[in-house]
Amino acid sequence: MTGLAVGKMRKRILHYLFITLIWIICLVYFFPIIYMFLTSLKHETDVVPPRLFFTPTLENYRTVLLSSDIVSHIVNSGIITISSMFFCILLGVPAAYTIVFGKLKKPDSLFFWFLSTTLLPPVAVIIPVFLLFKTLHLLDTRLGMIIMYVGANVPIVIWMVRSFLKDIPKELLEAADIDGATRIRSFFKIVLPLARSGIISSALLVFIFVWNEFFFAINLTYVNSSPIPVYMASYMTQEGLFWAKLSAISTVTVLPPLILGWISHKSIVRGLMMGAVKG
Amino acid sequence: MSTKERRQTDKVNALPIPAVVVVALVTQVPLVVTLILSVLKWIIVRPDMGIRFVGLDNYLAVLKDGEFYMVVLNTAVLSVVSLVGCTILGLALALLLNRKFIGINFVRTLLIAPFFVMDAVVGIIWKTLMLHPSFGINGLIATALHLKPLDFLGSHSLSTIMLLVIWQWTPFFVLILLSGFEGISEEILDSAKVDGAGTWRTIFQIKIPAIASHIEVAVMLGLIFILKVFGIIYVTTSGGPGISSANLPYLVYRTGFFRWDVGRATAMAVITVILTLVAITAFFRFARSKTSEVES
Repeated sequence: MTGLAVGKMRKRILHYLFITLIWIICLVYFFPIIYMFLTSLKHETDVVPPRLFFTPTLENYRTVLLSSDIVSHIVNSGIITISSMFFCILLGVPAAYTIVFGKLKKPDSLFFWFLSTTLLPPVAVIIPVFLLFKTLHLLDTRLGMIIMYVGANVPIVIWMVRSFLKDIPKELLEAADIDGATRIRSFFKIVLPLARSGIISSALLVFIFVWNEFFFAINLTYVNSSPIPVYMASYMTQEGLFWAKLSAISTVTVLPPLILGWISHKSIVRGLMMGAVKG
Repeated sequence: MSTKERRQTDKVNALPIPAVVVVALVTQVPLVVTLILSVLKWIIVRPDMGIRFVGLDNYLAVLKDGEFYMVVLNTAVLSVVSLVGCTILGLALALLLNRKFIGINFVRTLLIAPFFVMDAVVGIIWKTLMLHPSFGINGLIATALHLKPLDFLGSHSLSTIMLLVIWQWTPFFVLILLSGFEGISEEILDSAKVDGAGTWRTIFQIKIPAIASHIEVAVMLGLIFILKVFGIIYVTTSGGPGISSANLPYLVYRTGFFRWDVGRATAMAVITVILTLVAITAFFRFARSKTSEVES
């Protein structure tokens, strides 16, 4: 064999070695999630000791999805998350539009003000918010949670959408101005279609953040309007021994953000990077 | 400016007002109230003591408290170790995944999943299914190796929290860094090959410097989020044993919502804000000096 062929051969072997290595690493990394899913298909009696082979059952999912208690928390999560996402876009996109195309004297200082609020740790606001909510009877209400999440996530929408808007040439809008279109009309006619992918990816990011949020949820809700993470934490302490059921609830809970994340991770990363580079 | 134009300007400039109002209501206004509460003596479960102005007493009490320094140290260690871990692991995995083969999209999908899993579930599945000393994978491995299972949540509580945070956040780093590696132009890599640069030299002298801004973004966002880790601690260790795995957010939570000591908790919160801003500014300065080094 010539040296060249040997070199080629070595390269090929190395390539396949790498691929095997990558598969192993990724499977090990993903293992806790696979194992959670597998456990959710087990009878409670098969959970311990850990084993890979068992007769699968959907019993746990039936129990979970037929429990009006669990379903009501999932509904809470859904209502809170979707409303927060909707209002974040409704408030954030026009604000980003004004920052980029409006006639503010210092658009950047408004932008940096929004951005700076994301640095604030949630513990800095939680006690006053708790006291205020208690006075206004907003504790343990979905409305209260939605207000918190909109305030906390609007800056993220502004940050991401702004970078997409900056890619739209100003000339386009100026041409529309001359045609007599108002800036508000050109917003719907020109800007919205061009910034669509940015708006959608920021909306999905807000969905994922809000669905998964824990700190505000655990401190501001108790029973009636608590979203699913709060329920999970309390289930863990009260009935932490039923691992199969616990795994089934976890699987159901994790699914929406996981699917959205898998679909949209590329555009979310692009949005984050654009927002950062154009800081 | 004609009146009509002025009206137009007012209209478009008014668009951000609702966003400003809500954001201020949820962040700035409560922050001001936190500042005010931090100079009061107010324990909700002791209405007999009333509410009175005590100046900086709460701050002095916090700063004299040994526990508080332990928790500050925990927070710093947790953040630094997790960020370094995420960066190194993220770079390594992103480099590995930055190649083409059948099934690459599938393995990437597996790897990024933990980032989208909520804190509560991360804590629950690791605490029970994975790390439980008798019934988890931990116990299984220990039995197979004839060892005593590690007491992850007891004697290694803070390290375990770090492990969980790294598991959850490395995928985020991989996502950002991989998009950086994919953006490096073929020409640069080809010319490195022509120059005879080996694999390691290409990685350290060309690929990694080329994605400096991606690394900066990943670490910056990672820092902001890891400083406020809460759910994982709440579900797995509740900050214990003792305060060995508590961070600043958890301590404020415990002071505020268990001891109901409003003054003390808000004083801690104010100190947390200051420390957070110091950490972020310091990192920002450091990153800027590094990037300008790379660019020059």
